[in-house]
Amino acid sequence: MRRSILLLAILFTWAVSALSQENNSLPINHFVTRSTLVGVGYTQILDTYLSPAEYAGIEGRFLHERMRMTKLFGGRVSTQSMVQSNLAYTENRSGSGSEFAGMVNWTYGLHYHFPINGNLRILVGGLGDGNLGFIYNTRNSNNPAQAKAYINLTASAMAFYKFRIGQRPFSVRYQVNVPFIGAMFSPGYQQSYYEIFTLGNHDKVVRFTSLHNQPSMRQLLTLDIPVGGTTLRVGYLGDYQQSKVNNIRCHTYSHAFMVGFVKNFYLIKHKDPLRKQLPF
Amino acid sequence: MKHSHGLFHTLFYLLTLGLFSCIDAETYNDSPRGNFEALWHTIDEQYCFLDYKAQEYGLDWDEVHERYSRDIVDNMTDKDLFNVFDRMLAELRDGHVNLYTGFDVARYWDWYEDYPKNFSDSIQRIYLGKDYHIASGLKYKVLDDNIGYIYYESFSDAVGNGNLSDMLQELAICKGLIIDVRNNSGGQLTNADRIAARFTNKKVLTGYICHKTGPGHSDFSEPYPVYLEPSGSVRWQKPVCVLTNRSSYSATNDFVNTMKQLENITIVGDRTGGGSGLPFSSELPNGWSIRFSASPMYDPQMNHLEFGIDPDVQVDMSADDMRRGKDTIIETARRILNEKAL
Repeated sequence: MRRSILLLAILFTWAVSALSQENNSLPINHFVTRSTLVGVGYTQILDTYLSPAEYAGIEGRFLHERMRMTKLFGGRVSTQSMVQSNLAYTENRSGSGSEFAGMVNWTYGLHYHFPINGNLRILVGGLGDGNLGFIYNTRNSNNPAQAKAYINLTASAMAFYKFRIGQRPFSVRYQVNVPFIGAMFSPGYQQSYYEIFTLGNHDKVVRFTSLHNQPSMRQLLTLDIPVGGTTLRVGYLGDYQQSKVNNIRCHTYSHAFMVGFVKNFYLIKHKDPLRKQLPF
Repeated sequence: MKHSHGLFHTLFYLLTLGLFSCIDAETYNDSPRGNFEALWHTIDEQYCFLDYKAQEYGLDWDEVHERYSRDIVDNMTDKDLFNVFDRMLAELRDGHVNLYTGFDVARYWDWYEDYPKNFSDSIQRIYLGKDYHIASGLKYKVLDDNIGYIYYESFSDAVGNGNLSDMLQELAICKGLIIDVRNNSGGQLTNADRIAARFTNKKVLTGYICHKTGPGHSDFSEPYPVYLEPSGSVRWQKPVCVLTNRSSYSATNDFVNTMKQLENITIVGDRTGGGSGLPFSSELPNGWSIRFSASPMYDPQMNHLEFGIDPDVQVDMSADDMRRGKDTIIETARRILNEKAL
């Protein structure tokens, strides 16, 4: 046991020193990467509180992200803050009913970096994840809308791969987030919002969630392309939210094509070419 | 008859790297048989009075399935299918159960069509005259014998606290008040509570409400008490008569139950139409929309109110009175209020 702990300590020390040697020319926590993307996509919505039918249609999506290295663990940890919002219009299969849906999602957390080689880097971490949204069914009576509110602790993994075509640097990134524990607001199976908010019967409307009743996932695959003095980012965003809480079954499957720009900057002016130094 | 999502489920499984499977609802094909099964299952899993109506008049929803299933054939027209659904849903004897299509609405209205109307708008016009006041959805005036008369036609018509205060101040000189909710087929429960709050000086238990917690016929939450809190504004302190008929339904039924729990209030007229299940909506694979009772409400003794509330004073409009342009129910209420004022 002692030998194992000693071995782990040596490995950890080696890993920390390897990273600090990697970018020893710049204080790494001064790197910041921001990106802003917009997209359109296809979404499928089911919420049995409103209807047993799946509604499908188009959505618009916005994503803003900020990543920055920290000094934690010898500069091997980065922070990520991401705000997403989406608005969708969907119809049922027969075209006789429609639903509007919207969601704002904010995540904030840390990733630990595992540099594999000069081009590839794996990040593993955890995020706090807050979600607030709605689905509105245009023809229902006392169940016209469903509020969406849930928070999660989310496991997150990321991979960066940098490569060059000619002299031009490109970067591919894949990120996957999977919530593993949280809490979710949900009315009872057929509990009206009148009962919850007017009469005040709100016990059992906040429920514990985990993988067994909220198997959800968000993933993002992007390609960064240098264009002139800036960086264009294009990608696919898959947002698969599911839950089965209070006997209400819900899913929202969204597939969006995203495009936008990345801004890399260094908090203090530096003469070194920025792109060569960036960890993201 | 269930609809298959096999291809999509496989795609989803791949997109989530094999980590998850879909959370989905049971779906049915858009065929006569598929729509029939979807409708039957919606009621079976979500309708809140199956147990109660089994006790009351022997409703057996499984037997209903067996009986109406025989009428479903693959090549039937939409109108034939609608007619089967209409008859099947009528087995529930519930005015809150409707099926909406582009060409018709299935409904059960026997709860008032089989009984005396007990309301005449032409006779009511004699009482209101031309000089009545209107406060949002409330029509009101002072009758000759200094009795205040209020007619509220629909609980869907918004009534604000300002409307109520202004109206009650205007009627403050009256020795009694008539609140006529005949032919009022319901609307917003919040309007019912807002009006009733003007007629109590203390917090009163007015009943209980449950909601279904799962698809089983007996899956209900515990009963939650429903209280009426007195309004912080102008409150009426003199005798009141609430006028009812068989068309007093849904939120009106709830209003009558609430008023019945208060002091100094007399319910006059005919039994109300009932409708104590808060209705929810759903839909069928062909897009037809369905409405059904989802949350039962009870009186303070946990009695169901689904089939109506008996008045304190039962009275029908007589043919003789109607010929003379008199409303027997209004006249009875005036007599009660005048006697109480002595």
